[in-house]
Amino acid sequence: MARTLLCEIVTPERVLYTNEVEMVVAPTLEGEIGILPLHVPLVTVLKPGELRVRYNDGKDVDWFAISGGYLQVHEDKVIVLADNAALASQIDVGRAREGMSKLEERMAQLKQDAAEDGILEDCERDLKWCQAQVAVAERR
Amino acid sequence: MANLRDIKQRIVSVQSTSQITRTMEMVATAKIKKAQEKIEAARPYALAMVEVLGNVARFVQGASHPLLEEHDKRERVAVVSITSDRGLCGAFNSNILRLTEQIISREQSNDAETSVIAVGKKAISYLRYRGVEPTVAYRDISDKPTFADARAIAAHIIPAYEAGEIDAAYVAFNRFKNVAEQKAEVYQLLPIERRVMETEDAQIDQLMPEYVFEPDAGTVLERLLPTYVETLIYRALMESAASEHGARRTAMKSATDNATEMVNTLTRSYNRARQAAITNEIAEIVGGAAALEDS
Repeated sequence: MARTLLCEIVTPERVLYTNEVEMVVAPTLEGEIGILPLHVPLVTVLKPGELRVRYNDGKDVDWFAISGGYLQVHEDKVIVLADNAALASQIDVGRAREGMSKLEERMAQLKQDAAEDGILEDCERDLKWCQAQVAVAERR
Repeated sequence: MANLRDIKQRIVSVQSTSQITRTMEMVATAKIKKAQEKIEAARPYALAMVEVLGNVARFVQGASHPLLEEHDKRERVAVVSITSDRGLCGAFNSNILRLTEQIISREQSNDAETSVIAVGKKAISYLRYRGVEPTVAYRDISDKPTFADARAIAAHIIPAYEAGEIDAAYVAFNRFKNVAEQKAEVYQLLPIERRVMETEDAQIDQLMPEYVFEPDAGTVLERLLPTYVETLIYRALMESAASEHGARRTAMKSATDNATEMVNTLTRSYNRARQAAITNEIAEIVGGAAALEDS
């Protein structure tokens, strides 16, 4: 049995996932990062995208869409602090798409009105989250 | 002596009221449990967040970030006042509103302006009545707060603080102590108190390994601090939701108890009145019979 990592994916609302895994691949600001057991202690910022978790001798992979957040590695324990996360099989693609088109419309509107930056940023963040969900759901 | 029918009517009306309060009590009891579970579910994130924040802070010695810096002046203060949308929950809302007013008058006596962010219909209507127009008002979120709600509230204070438009931010909410007890509290949101980031135990400090940061510690901290404020607000919202149900349960329980007692008293006077009427009738019959015999 290979050495494993304890992977925890936590959102503000609940603990989404806990499992003994062999590898975690997460989207960081500078690209993708793969974490194997015995990784050095690390703290990093994640961007919206797809997070993969490999376990059971690489036979099983769980896919997640995450909306950005933080990741900490410490003594074979990976904690993912995500603002929002969803297991690929539980993503509601239809809803995410709907959200995407609505948000795009709203953003175009806001840009025209030259609205406050805050709202636009919020929309952009939500949009990226929807895009990440769709992307992950489609790759599955 | 009150009329029999009047008493009967009152008994029926008090009984139907007590049925309502009893139902509300039971609904609140069920909701407390759910709200408590939500608080529990949010704990891992908050704990992990504090841990990461502590780790980062140790590596950014003398960390400086707009959200950590205290402003030299204190001219504008924001208060997030968290109340409920519905009443019938005892002193739940009035405690918060009193606290909010205390902060407002304290700041105003120090020549600082105040702006209020009102959460819950009760805060909105009370403040408007008192002539305080809330800068932002949220309704229909206090029953089931989500992280997105907390984020929306934070979006009104974080940029304002960074831009120097406000010099401090507080949140007033009911802390959920236990099912029967809530405590109205004020917590400072901004500037973030530095002690949050300091590990209490110096020993842990030495045992902690070197962390690698990506892209670098400063960037991580920069992103982490706003999220930390958001978690604080989220927690306050959830505690307030649980407290609301707790307060409502207590209020409804005493209302039910009072109604039951009232029904008992009323039933007693009803019986007494009925007895008096019967006695009266007998006396009349006897009197009538005696009059007939005499003639």
